Amino acid sequence: MKLELGNFFVKDITFGDNTSFNNGTLTINKEEALSVVREDEDITEADLVIVKPGDKVRLVPVKEAIEPRCRVAGGSVFPAVTGELIQAGNGRTHALKDCSVLVVGKHWGGFQDGLIDMSGEGAKYTYYSQLKNIVLVADTNEDFEKKEQQKKNRALRWAGMRLAEYIGNCVRNLTPEEVETFELEPVSKRCEEINKLPSVVLVLQPQSQMEEMGYNDLLYGWDCNHMVPTFMHPNEVLDGAMISGSFMPCSSKWSTYDFQNFPTIKNLYKEHGKTVNFLGVIMSNLNVALQQKERSAQFVAQMAKSLGADGAIVAEEGYGNPDADFIACIVALEDAGVKTVGLTNECTGRDGASQPLVSLDEKANAIVSCGNVSELIELPPMETVIGELQSLARDGLSGGWAGDEKLGPSVKEDGSIIMENNSMFCGDQVVGWSTKTMKEF
Amino acid sequence: MKKAILYLNQFFGQIGGEDKADFAPVINEGQIGPAMELNKNLENAEVTHTIICGDNFMGSNEEEALKTILEFLENKEFDIFFAGPAFQAGRYGNACGVICKAVKEKFNVPVVSSMHVENPGVEMFKKDVYIFKGGSSAAKMRKDVKVMAQFGDKLLSGKKLLPADEEGYFPRGIRHQVWLESEKPASERVVEMLIKKLNGEKFETELPIPKSDRVAVAPPINDLSKANIALVNTGGIVPVDNPDRIQSASATRWGKYDISKMEILQAGQFKTIHAGFDPAAADADPNVILPLDVMRAYEKEGKIAKVHEYFYSTVGTGTTQAEAARMGQEISEHLREANVDGVIMVST
Amino acid sequence: MANLIPVAKTVGANKIVPTISIPYPLGDPSTTKEQQWKLRYHRVGVALDALTIDVKEQTIFPVKI
Repeated sequence: MKLELGNFFVKDITFGDNTSFNNGTLTINKEEALSVVREDEDITEADLVIVKPGDKVRLVPVKEAIEPRCRVAGGSVFPAVTGELIQAGNGRTHALKDCSVLVVGKHWGGFQDGLIDMSGEGAKYTYYSQLKNIVLVADTNEDFEKKEQQKKNRALRWAGMRLAEYIGNCVRNLTPEEVETFELEPVSKRCEEINKLPSVVLVLQPQSQMEEMGYNDLLYGWDCNHMVPTFMHPNEVLDGAMISGSFMPCSSKWSTYDFQNFPTIKNLYKEHGKTVNFLGVIMSNLNVALQQKERSAQFVAQMAKSLGADGAIVAEEGYGNPDADFIACIVALEDAGVKTVGLTNECTGRDGASQPLVSLDEKANAIVSCGNVSELIELPPMETVIGELQSLARDGLSGGWAGDEKLGPSVKEDGSIIMENNSMFCGDQVVGWSTKTMKEF
Repeated sequence: MKKAILYLNQFFGQIGGEDKADFAPVINEGQIGPAMELNKNLENAEVTHTIICGDNFMGSNEEEALKTILEFLENKEFDIFFAGPAFQAGRYGNACGVICKAVKEKFNVPVVSSMHVENPGVEMFKKDVYIFKGGSSAAKMRKDVKVMAQFGDKLLSGKKLLPADEEGYFPRGIRHQVWLESEKPASERVVEMLIKKLNGEKFETELPIPKSDRVAVAPPINDLSKANIALVNTGGIVPVDNPDRIQSASATRWGKYDISKMEILQAGQFKTIHAGFDPAAADADPNVILPLDVMRAYEKEGKIAKVHEYFYSTVGTGTTQAEAARMGQEISEHLREANVDGVIMVST
Repeated sequence: MANLIPVAKTVGANKIVPTISIPYPLGDPSTTKEQQWKLRYHRVGVALDALTIDVKEQTIFPVKI
């Protein structure tokens, strides 16, 4: 499998007559773009706003981030989600780099939604403050979940994907500034030099804990709750086979943009042939019953062993009871003789004194940690808010609250906020961006 | 100028050696022994008093010693409290820990000490006191006092504190997120750690696994048929209007609800507010989380004497272990008052 | 009573009776009301009996249904 990612580096974004990319400037025909958004009748209101690093803008409730792309030979960017099921990870895909489509609710937020500050103290808490963003601010008629804390956010998330495809299309016939090639030989057909290096797999545990459809991460459109771990080519993940879901406190989530750019996959590619033999990805999941957790761990360990893995990295998209899936998977791999490193965040409480993971085992002796979900964050008012600031306090965002005995409401009258890291949009960056770690004090 | 007070044992307080270890606590104005050295090194504070107490006195009359010393401090103004350095002296280390912990609790000022890693006081008090990694004997007095003074200055100036390893004190079991100066992303850290682990090289985990909690086993119930059994859950089962406004995640509140007149928990009257799972099943039948219906059956059969009048509820998702432990303690006080003999605790 | 036995053990629970899942510990909604009641009655019964047993260490009590 050989994936060529043709990169176009976006230096500026403006609205104009023709959606096009020219000399680093991405121009978007707003009306045409919005008509793509409105293809879904459930969208009742929609607007586009461009925000750039340094802008005095706060975005909340943010529901999704997507990199604008197109598949050069045709076919949907997100197979079996925005179009027909086709093989991802092979051939040429064009991508607009340094920018993302952000989907923001015009009014209503939920447990899984997050916040982004494009400048100031709050900017460091999310990856997306350093990107130029095309922000879709929209509302829907999905009244059944308007007041629900858990939202599927279907219409908005799908509108974001359509918009990312529409924008990505403008570079279909252009020559990219850079082409990144991702290619791995079949596992059993690798040359002597690579075979003698330690073989490693990357085990991913995407969010899949809702038993009702519509909330979980999707793999080629398939709900990750309904699968047992499976072996994948890393190119598939980089090329749209995975889309983010709508469940889990936001800082622990992996956006679709995160999947498309998965830094740990890219780094394993970089080391492939030098220090390791990168076998591929074992796509596991996160579950709500012990036997399901143990079944997945057993599948992962068996598959790693059968593939001849000497080492593994396990990354979880979540915290709390997913820690049990995470630790079980590490223990199963270690028991199978596969040396394993974990990649996660922690929940040590506002005072930092609580147990970092809900499940622990001495065999998990190598873990990279990306942050504390419950760290308290206070931020001053921001000139412009896109979305609705009150959603942080009102709508049950995982890091916001309507009232607190000591701290008062999350949103103050002057527009300043107090929140837990939990609601920073994909803030803990467990996919690998994170320059945060945890230290003892 | 801010004010500091230092605690010393009889030896460093220049009262005498082992023969004076029963020396009862005294407070002296000004600086004695290491207090002079501490005062010399402190930039933001003056050492106004030196407290001296014999190690054996503290060891065998801890309550009295604490009472006396806390009374000494009652009418003193001070912004920071120091004890030691205690080097490898076990009884002295214990005394420094005991007094620092009590002073912190009563006066809410920062407390700083220094001990050698093998001093048993380290394990006992590192969670409560900033204990710096000190030398094994008084030969290191100047160095250890200087470290305590520098950190004291930093605390008093309100400067941002670095992680324990960088400051030099024993980690207190408190973990916070920090941005790495190297800006090395997790994607690189994780692959580097894996390569080291594969090559059998030394690596340092970013999350050392703490020892698991052990709880003393409660004595068994002798006669279940005479027992009053309570139902407790972390599945967020509450009356539909959630009267106690228990949070759906990261809960800090719990509630108790009267079920004395109910045979089962009715859907529509009770629901779950837990945000960590699909609520459909428990909303349709709350008994799947809070099994009142079968408890009533056991009550009728006489297997148990009665179901306690109230059930207790909170939410377990994102809830820190510290908050959970506090709520558990509060709930168990209620249960004890109501003479509950046993608890069925359902977790989700 | 918990489904996540590893978590119950990590936090120090001494007497543990397994339940069937996180969202519905004591009654699978895809089964009949009678089956759910039977399962709940059995497992709560095991838990009640467990209260009378003298254990020296963390113990998981087996269930049949």
